[in-house]
Amino acid sequence: MANILNWIIFTPLIGAAVVLIAPAAQARAITWFTTLVVLLLSCLTFGPFLSGEYANGGYGENMQFESKVPWIQVGGTELPDGSREGGFNINWHVGLDGLSFPLIILTTLITWLSAWASWNFDHWNVNRGPKGFFSLFLILETGVLGTFAALDFFLFYIFWEVMLLPMYFLIGVWGGPRKEYAAIKFFIYTLAGSVLMLVALLAMYFASAEALGGTGTFNLLTYATSDAIRDVFNDPERTFLNWNFGAAMFVMLFIGFMIKVPLFPFHTWLPDAHVEAPTPISMILAGILLKLGAYGFLRVCYPIFPEAGATLAWFVATLGIINIIYGAFCCLAQTDFKRLVAYSSISHMGYVVLGCAIMTDTGFQGAMFQMLAHGISSPMCFFLVGVIYDRAHHRDLNRFGGLWLAMPRYGSLATLGFFASLGLPALCGFIGEIWVLLGTFNAPFWWAKLAAVIAAFGVVLTAGYILWMIQRVYLGKLREDYAHFPDATARETAILFPMAVLAIFLGILPKYTFDLMNGTLADMVGIMTPYVNDAVASASSLIGGR
Amino acid sequence: MMLSEALPSGIWMPSARDLAAIGPLWGFVATIVAILLAALVFGRNWRVTGTIAGLGAAVTAWLAARNLMNPPSNWAGFSPGSAPMFVADQFSSFFVLLISVFMLLVLAMWWMGQNSGISERLLRKNDAVEFFILFIGSAFGMAMMVSTTNLLMIVLSVEMASLPSYAIVAFRKHHRQAAEAGLKYVLFGAVTSAIMIYGASLLYGHYHTLDLAEIGRVIRGEGAPTLLMGAALFAFLVGVAFKVSAVPFHFWCPDVFEGASIEITTWLSVASKAAGLGLMLRIISVLTFKIASPDILYYLSMAVAVMAALTCTVGNLSAFRQTNMKRLLAYSSIAHAGYMLMAVAIVWLNKGNPTLGAAHPAFSAIVAYISVYLVMNLGAFGVVAMVYWATGSESIDAFNGLMRRSPLLAVMMIVFLFSLVGLPPMGGFMAKWYLIWALWDAGWAWLVIIAVFNTLISLYYYARVAKAMVFLDDGQEPIRTPALGQALVTACALAVLYTGTLGAGRLKTFADNRSRGLYAVVESEPSEVAASISARSAGDGVQRNDTDTKSALLTEHSP
Repeated sequence: MANILNWIIFTPLIGAAVVLIAPAAQARAITWFTTLVVLLLSCLTFGPFLSGEYANGGYGENMQFESKVPWIQVGGTELPDGSREGGFNINWHVGLDGLSFPLIILTTLITWLSAWASWNFDHWNVNRGPKGFFSLFLILETGVLGTFAALDFFLFYIFWEVMLLPMYFLIGVWGGPRKEYAAIKFFIYTLAGSVLMLVALLAMYFASAEALGGTGTFNLLTYATSDAIRDVFNDPERTFLNWNFGAAMFVMLFIGFMIKVPLFPFHTWLPDAHVEAPTPISMILAGILLKLGAYGFLRVCYPIFPEAGATLAWFVATLGIINIIYGAFCCLAQTDFKRLVAYSSISHMGYVVLGCAIMTDTGFQGAMFQMLAHGISSPMCFFLVGVIYDRAHHRDLNRFGGLWLAMPRYGSLATLGFFASLGLPALCGFIGEIWVLLGTFNAPFWWAKLAAVIAAFGVVLTAGYILWMIQRVYLGKLREDYAHFPDATARETAILFPMAVLAIFLGILPKYTFDLMNGTLADMVGIMTPYVNDAVASASSLIGGR
Repeated sequence: MMLSEALPSGIWMPSARDLAAIGPLWGFVATIVAILLAALVFGRNWRVTGTIAGLGAAVTAWLAARNLMNPPSNWAGFSPGSAPMFVADQFSSFFVLLISVFMLLVLAMWWMGQNSGISERLLRKNDAVEFFILFIGSAFGMAMMVSTTNLLMIVLSVEMASLPSYAIVAFRKHHRQAAEAGLKYVLFGAVTSAIMIYGASLLYGHYHTLDLAEIGRVIRGEGAPTLLMGAALFAFLVGVAFKVSAVPFHFWCPDVFEGASIEITTWLSVASKAAGLGLMLRIISVLTFKIASPDILYYLSMAVAVMAALTCTVGNLSAFRQTNMKRLLAYSSIAHAGYMLMAVAIVWLNKGNPTLGAAHPAFSAIVAYISVYLVMNLGAFGVVAMVYWATGSESIDAFNGLMRRSPLLAVMMIVFLFSLVGLPPMGGFMAKWYLIWALWDAGWAWLVIIAVFNTLISLYYYARVAKAMVFLDDGQEPIRTPALGQALVTACALAVLYTGTLGAGRLKTFADNRSRGLYAVVESEPSEVAASISARSAGDGVQRNDTDTKSALLTEHSP
């Protein structure tokens, strides 16, 4: 297919095949090749945006670059008129809309920056095969791009799982001291969520077969927009193993995605994985893979099961707030620089989940924006930590001091990056947080204002740990050991620069980012509003009924 | 013109068509005879024996493939007495093809092992003739197991499959472990076979016919399955559960797999499961087709489901502590037998009224699963074999640093390991997907949940092998692998990746096509046949059962 989206998804895989065939001795060539391939991809995804071909489409009808090819269309019984009833209806169905397009741009950008960040490969503690590293890197990118673009739930699941193996090896081979532990913990945790998703996948297909009368569908858009399917899925009488069907599916999918977000209490894999992974992999993990969980909420959980979402909104919001506050408190307690940044990721993703939970326009916009903002600030922070680790070979916050004096250029960029993470107004993090907080304050739920106030307290805590960290690391008296540190090299500055520019751009001119997604999000919220109103109206009777 | 008409009455001779239908079985027999005769001429030359065995296996596979390519011809014949001895339809042809192709591949493995220079090979270089007689004999028995609905033939074929296996497991006569393995295998096998024969005798004693299809028809006429039938079916289940290594008849499996040589381990891990499952599916479908009120069957299906759930869980959990690769893969094969047994649990309750054209979902799921399982298990054992031949060690420590020592083996092993887990985009996931689809469609949601939970917990021990290969490195020597081995392992890995991605639909279509028209064997009514049979048998003085069925019927019945 000449469809550019298919090319975007498979170019990394083709690149991985080339890297695998290349002789291992050509490390330099392989590194250059990979970086150029992902740079090309990044330009490819910006292309549709800049060329004006991409229009801010609605949900369902206006998918851009849609490609649908039958994949597994077998089984069932042949009807007399030649058609098929029952059996499988699985297609290669990909497309972009306001939900996935910004994330794909983010993915290709961060992947390029990570590939470039891998150039100091031979300085890592284990000098093992750039060939293996870059081929796994590229396969991972294919998995991520495919997940974002997939519109067929089965295809979504396949790509979701494709990411697990490369990540396992990337952390386990090139990671820090406890890499094997972190890698297997990541793998088992994520697979546990995935198998729950598999059960939900199956149940939803058979329910859709019932709703459509004959052959079911895996089409995520149909699930969300078809009235027949939505009536069957959200039917209060329908049960799954003695639970309400919609609620059971929502919970299973929710658990599958919440592990990736990561949402309390299934967040414990993240500090280990982030700390042990090498810098480029941490950048990808924080910048992109965490977004997959929230993308799953927005693509799968909420549009398809709005009733369960509305009923359980209080629970999801509570988890989000726990992420924000608890994550921030954990940051305050850290002495390892990278672990602090890891917990800050948990804290920021809490805003995303809170924005999703309230199911309003502002909430969803804030959640998406926070995803993008965090996707820029978090890789930046991890790279900043990596720069210091390359020089100091430790990450103990209490042993640093006055690095800004020794490395002025780096220090400026570092302060910018950490302020973006803090949510300073005029930087990207602020818009995301304020949108979520405003949305929560204005949400129709009875607990909304209380939730907003508690979440706002997280801002204070965030400022606390970021500022304290900056003071310990970059300010204060310069220690002798660090006086000779070279400033950020040209490569490091060049990697930090795009992220810094984007942090400022998103913070000052968020309109362009919101334009990318508003149409889709508005349509989605339109699907959900009736259910939210129902849940709010019957909230008192629901509570009384329990 | 049938031969039987040309000869004087009283002498029964099979027709040429009948002989052709069981062609692959003749292939096995001819190979055995050829090997024995060649030993007279060429002496104990393992190369000659191996070549003849290979040619024989190839011819057998070709015959089986030819049977498969023909349109589904549901044939049952070879009945000099009351009941047809053999059946041949799409389902049995597939399994015979699978067994003969697998035999060829295991033979390739054996050939590579002979060249490896391991001391036990040198000791056994002269024993190739005995090895192949036993090996091909066991394959012959397994091929017969899936091609019959006759009680006597079932018993005979199960014994034919098992007895040579007992001996060949103990073939490494200089290893104490091998003798122990053989003894455990024979004790277990003898007991479970006895129970199975008892079940067969129950059925024969009550219904006075050896033909399962006839028994099924009588039961259908009676309306409800009797307790006797339930007991007999349970006895058959015990016998098959042994061959398939289901809990609680699995205890022989790890010791036997560890004691046997690597080719026999590979052979047993796939072929005995395939044959056992094929037999069980055949028995159940024939006996329980269109039963009006399946009361007892519900309990039996529950028993099989519980057995399947226990099997995969016990298999997966027991593998956690294993350090010997053969034992680890043995427990893995127990777990996979558990998944396949789940499909057996749903074959009892025929959904609605399956027409001749529809593919039975349970049969189709098992065909797909065993096909993918063959490839990935062969690949995994192939890698273990090549590491063993190079290092002499079967321990997981021999895999340390394999990514450096032999990148090809390591990468292929990763594909096989994670396909065994059931991770996309490997074929193992697709096979599991079709299986849990069939389970859900039949209403067994809790089995689906157990299956996916077991997928999760199995990850740990497969990842442990991957960890040894990629993360750990204790500086062992690089491994040289035979070119044939590399080619085979690569082909298996490519097949696994293909069935998981582009070929997923084709796998399902293939499996569905093997699962059509299974009930034609039982659906025939004897009324119009009995008259013609009795007319033919008039005056020959041979005592015959009145309800003779198949040979005459099927000549006009097959499509």
